[in-house]
Amino acid sequence: MSSRSITDIYQHNERAVIGAGAFAAFLVLWEGFSRGWWAMLFEPLLGESARALAIKPIFISSPTGVAQQAWTMFAVTGEIWPHIAQSGAQLIVGLGAAILIGVPLGLAAGRYRTFSYILDPFLSALNATPQVAFLPLFVMWIGTGFWMRVLIIFLLAVIPITMNALAAVRTVDPRLLKVASSFGASELHTFRTVIAPSALPFILSGMRLAVGRSMIGIIVAELYGSATGIGIMINMAGDSDKVFVGVLVIVIAGLLMSEALRAIERRYDGWRPVIGDNT
Amino acid sequence: MHGDGLQRYTPQLVGAAAVFAFVAFWEAAAAYKLADPIFISSPSRIASVAAEMWEDPDFWRDIKVSATEFIWGYLAAIAVGIPLGLAVGWYKQLQYALGPFIDVLNAVPRVTFMPILVLWFGIGIWSKFAVVFLGAVIPIILSTYSGVRTNEARFLRVAKSFSASQMKTFTSIILPGTAPYIFTGLKYASGRALLGVVVGELYAATAGVGHMIAQAGNAFETDRVFFGVLLFTFTGLVVTTILAHMEKRFDRWRPEGAVR
Repeated sequence: MSSRSITDIYQHNERAVIGAGAFAAFLVLWEGFSRGWWAMLFEPLLGESARALAIKPIFISSPTGVAQQAWTMFAVTGEIWPHIAQSGAQLIVGLGAAILIGVPLGLAAGRYRTFSYILDPFLSALNATPQVAFLPLFVMWIGTGFWMRVLIIFLLAVIPITMNALAAVRTVDPRLLKVASSFGASELHTFRTVIAPSALPFILSGMRLAVGRSMIGIIVAELYGSATGIGIMINMAGDSDKVFVGVLVIVIAGLLMSEALRAIERRYDGWRPVIGDNT
Repeated sequence: MHGDGLQRYTPQLVGAAAVFAFVAFWEAAAAYKLADPIFISSPSRIASVAAEMWEDPDFWRDIKVSATEFIWGYLAAIAVGIPLGLAVGWYKQLQYALGPFIDVLNAVPRVTFMPILVLWFGIGIWSKFAVVFLGAVIPIILSTYSGVRTNEARFLRVAKSFSASQMKTFTSIILPGTAPYIFTGLKYASGRALLGVVVGELYAATAGVGHMIAQAGNAFETDRVFFGVLLFTFTGLVVTTILAHMEKRFDRWRPEGAVR
């Protein structure tokens, strides 16, 4: 072990080294465009046309600019917190409602065939529509406030949740259902003891998809209106540093939430056959 | 198992009846003023607005703009996404280098970048092209990549034992094995592309079906809004149906164990 050479160390950590290197290179490249490093570097070679390599920071911001802006907004002025709180509240209410309605709906459609025949055309049509197209309609119905945004998040999230809950019931081992009915288990009892446990992992993957969709909802719903929210902050930012800070918040929130759900899913992974993972 | 006669079509019949009931209820609700038609419109109003718009050159211009954004953005995503996905799947080091970027882009809805894209490319067709491209390219890269990675190791070993060239291995094993995954990616990507068109046009645009919906919304023309939404639904259904058929065709090759 003591005689591990540099190449050995590299071989063992190739993924991390290359990944970190590529990321660092990206940041340097970005900073360089913004500060005109590349223009300076290539000026002797390219002459005047090298100027094109210096891009105004107002267009592309820069890693240091974003970091500085983030520091200011989080720690100095604290102006970002109300935006995060507002968007977070919308997300929780919208996603919560989608779970409360989507899971029972999907379970029922999975269990009762006729009901699934009724639900299916509507579900497929809604699924094929980019649901954000309903936005102007929602604005007409309930204005541009909190509830409109909750409604669009709900609509985006409820579809994957319902579809996965439906698929989940279909994967329950029919032998188990037969046993339950032979022993005269009530419908409720069957749901609680047979269907729910084996459906849970699928329902969780549906929720993970739904989290991604609801991030779309946050951004798009806040295109309208002019109160607080991360999407509003991005839209009204006016300078690219702020825009990137907002994007960064969304990135981190999205990664954290999908990782958390993935961790919960992993707990149940042993039980379940893998089905579609539509990113 | 198939019942004979009508029974076989029970799902379709029940589904059609449900849709019919929904449309009839909607029409009745508007006709008997259960809710103000200004808010809920009605199927017959939407139909008449559709007939009216059919004659309107502005409407066809909107369709043309949206179709251009969708088709070119989607095609560019295919042209970039498939080769990139294949390369990332084939060369380990490339995957290490690009993996972090792809993962991050996958974690955020690409429509978040809309304000930046508008800043860079303006409110014309190019910012929509960019958001459609960004939306569609990620699922294509990811599923092409996972297609390459799930190729059966046995086949690769056989190819190696027979000292097949890299090129030969690639064209005769990797590509056919990856095709079904690529179609799965294309299906998801089409939804993302359509989303990009809508968001881009709602955000800032001068033309397009999304722009038409936004304007009709501002003017409280509910019928037009519904008609626009239905156009998107229709487009989405047509595109996903076509791609789902293609996916199913290629699915037959897919080795059992790899079915996701």
